[in-house]
Amino acid sequence: MRVWRNISELGAGLWTTLRQLGRTSTVSYPEEPLNLPPRWRGRPVLTRDPDGDERCVACQLCSAVCPTRCIELQAGERPDTRRYPLTFRINFSRCIYCGLCEEACPTLAIQLLDEFAFSKEHHADFIYEKEALLIDGTGKHPHYNFYRHSGVALQDKDKGEGINEKTPVNVRSNLP
Amino acid sequence: MKHVFFLDGQEIPFIPGQNVLEAAIAAGKNQQIPYFCFHPALGSLGACRQCAVKMYAHDSKHPPRITMACLLPASDGLQLVTLEDDVHTEHREIIELLMTNHPLDCPVCDEGGQCHLQDMTVQTGHSVRHYSGPKRTYRNQDLGPLVYQEMNRCITCYRCVRFYQDAAQGEDFGVFGSRNRVSFGRLEDGPLESPFSGNLVEVCPTGVFTDKVFRHDYVRVWDLQQGPSVCPHCAVGCNTTPGARLGTLRRIRNRIRPEINGHFLCDRGRYAFPYVTANSRPLQPRLMGETTRQDAVLRQLASRLEEGRSGFLGSPREDLQSNLGLFALADCLHAPFAAVTSSWAEALAQQCLALPQAPSLQEVAAADRIVVIGDLDSIAPMAGFAVRQALRQGARLTVLASSRTELAQKGDYRPLRPSALRDQVAQLADDPCLQGGRFPVLLATAETLGPSGLYALRKTLEKLPANARAGAFVNRPNLFGAAYFAADGHTERLQQALRQRKINHLLCLGADPLGEDWGAGTWRTLAPGLDGLTLLDMVDSETARSAEALIPVAAFPERAGLFVNYEGRIQAFSPVYRREALVLHSAVQGSGFPEAAGGLKHPIGPPPPLFWLGRLAEMLHLHEAWQKRLDFYLHFLCPERPDPEGPGVLLPDTIRARFEIAAVPATRTVTPEQWELDIFRWYGGETLADTADELHSLAPARGLRVHPDVQAVAATLHGPCGDLQLPVIACAEMVQGVIAIDQEGFAELGLYPGDPVEVSWEQRQ
Repeated sequence: MRVWRNISELGAGLWTTLRQLGRTSTVSYPEEPLNLPPRWRGRPVLTRDPDGDERCVACQLCSAVCPTRCIELQAGERPDTRRYPLTFRINFSRCIYCGLCEEACPTLAIQLLDEFAFSKEHHADFIYEKEALLIDGTGKHPHYNFYRHSGVALQDKDKGEGINEKTPVNVRSNLP
Repeated sequence: MKHVFFLDGQEIPFIPGQNVLEAAIAAGKNQQIPYFCFHPALGSLGACRQCAVKMYAHDSKHPPRITMACLLPASDGLQLVTLEDDVHTEHREIIELLMTNHPLDCPVCDEGGQCHLQDMTVQTGHSVRHYSGPKRTYRNQDLGPLVYQEMNRCITCYRCVRFYQDAAQGEDFGVFGSRNRVSFGRLEDGPLESPFSGNLVEVCPTGVFTDKVFRHDYVRVWDLQQGPSVCPHCAVGCNTTPGARLGTLRRIRNRIRPEINGHFLCDRGRYAFPYVTANSRPLQPRLMGETTRQDAVLRQLASRLEEGRSGFLGSPREDLQSNLGLFALADCLHAPFAAVTSSWAEALAQQCLALPQAPSLQEVAAADRIVVIGDLDSIAPMAGFAVRQALRQGARLTVLASSRTELAQKGDYRPLRPSALRDQVAQLADDPCLQGGRFPVLLATAETLGPSGLYALRKTLEKLPANARAGAFVNRPNLFGAAYFAADGHTERLQQALRQRKINHLLCLGADPLGEDWGAGTWRTLAPGLDGLTLLDMVDSETARSAEALIPVAAFPERAGLFVNYEGRIQAFSPVYRREALVLHSAVQGSGFPEAAGGLKHPIGPPPPLFWLGRLAEMLHLHEAWQKRLDFYLHFLCPERPDPEGPGVLLPDTIRARFEIAAVPATRTVTPEQWELDIFRWYGGETLADTADELHSLAPARGLRVHPDVQAVAATLHGPCGDLQLPVIACAEMVQGVIAIDQEGFAELGLYPGDPVEVSWEQRQ
């Protein structure tokens, strides 16, 4: 009995091995592209809103939440008071791709997309400035535009023209 | 006897008269009671309904009830509870109500990170808005270059209007509208007129009022480097908290100091800081107008000093140690030293120092008879603020001035020519305006009153009851520290040495003898006798432009130091940040793993004056003697070093007494037919503050202010050191026969406030 059981278990193991014959799960990266899962956390980028303007409003929540302090930015202000990052710097030799910045971002500007393998000769070359970070697209969220929901007025959006807003009140009215 | 009540079973101590919320906040228990409209300096209102607590009655007859902690006077043995469900429900529902129309602005709101509304919302656990209807919106007002309004964010706590109308007694800001359309602002767009408008930013618990200057160069508060500092813009010495980031100063906030500024700060203190980042600020040593290296300029200066023909000029604008360092160096070299630029200013300083212990602003706010001499608001706005607090308590205010200032409109105004001020002050002891008071206080602007007026003030004070106090204010942070070691007649001796060619080089520290300092006219006539002038300063000035060598020094938030304020309070300030440059590629040579986000930071800021003076003493082989003298003087003036976080140390009376024997200042006689000069200032005007663009954009036009009786478009004033032509600005508030001009004008003419002046009017064409 014992001999028979040993042989059957041996056979089962062999069958598992034989079953894999003909299947190829190894990809010869980098010649072949990878099929990355949708929630893959690659290199962070800055995206644009559906209108083509940059999404980042320089609220500095990403740099606050970053556990490795690899994000540094300075806020700037356009004439119509719209905030934008004057400088935005990520040091990828410190970044650990944890995705906390993406979670913290209230405007869906910073997103971890699919680029994950990049190498440089010097550490200093890993410091990416805003020009290298900002992409021409909306990333994973094609429709969201923070300023349509926010209450501030901009050049192309007056008070009361945002989503779910009433027209501005007349403070000089004394009607009940 | 210790008074306590119980909050959730914990003992909370209180002082009788306090309300429950005040005592709970003082005991650090504010985590249990959220609140909005209560402010320690503005009191309770009960408008927001947020600070609910459940009160259990002493007897068993009444059921427990929910009440507002800010309106409930604390009493012994009171049993209060916040940990029950109905209290939580109240807290949560009220904040949800307040948040109904609050916009989704936090990412672009400057208040984010220091927002009371954010804190309270998180504290009460309100995270999901049940209301999904459209939100109310407002149009914003343009409130000038200092305060930014975003009215959508308002939760109608009324703190702003309580501050602006009640505490600051401003008249151009209020509440408008009815029901849920209530709005806070001005009647129409325009800059806020009060010199305390910047406090709206701190008082507002949400982001309705935010700092417009900070807005242009914004960082989140959690990224700011902050530290204890003292305001360098007038003699009051308010405590401040500068905030810096990446080597640049971004903003100034108030630091609570009950004895001096309490919870507030004037606009000069808050918005004058951009002198630190001004493009005109000298950052590199300059020799003959060319940028050079530190050692080159030091070698040049050392060779100058070795010649032994140098004079030393300190400044009431610089801190105590730097002045003492300069004085010690002068002492080692047996060279003449002066702390102020003219004999008049010297007499003024001596008379200020000879006054007995001045009242702190906290004491001023508690006075019941106040006499203000001159335009106090424009010299030391926070002193004017303390007077307003006394007025709220029912104090009687008398203002003696040559123009009807804002403060004068709030009390009895006696229009007086500057020359009449002295006589009036001398008779104040028998004046009805001080009779019947418990605690009379006299506050003078030193420059308007002049040395002889300050002497009269001291004599008057001797006749008044023992608890009467007097204070004299200047717009220099350290007049009281700089002048202590200057001997009698020191300025005259320095100028005499220059006239007699005993010296041909002047080492100045933070002074502007060729520009706008007192007596600049005399210095200009002496300038040809100067072979070279070396200046250590942090702002660009007339003197800096014509100096042979210019040595930049660290600005006040960049270094440690001591200021002596108008009451003789020695206050320390500590370095808050360093100027630094970003060096991205140093990461390659460094440890291999880069520091921080964007590479290493490399300090580039200029060193403080003491560093330069120390190096100079080293090059002259005097370092040991210099250090010994400096330590001795410093120990003499302040045996115990004040702590930057503490309330400072008062100068001992024995040191004050040195000046009581100072010579009686000469008095000038002015006939009624003659035109008399008075000084015109505005609340934001001061040497450092003048380089702050946003604040300076509010400055009134330069001109010669006279009563509208004078029908002229311009006038030329004739003084001993030169003529001055200025446009005439008719000013209905002025007393007839008085001409008010700015300090630059006085410097050009070589005259002083209260002097008679020759005028030629240019009539309308």
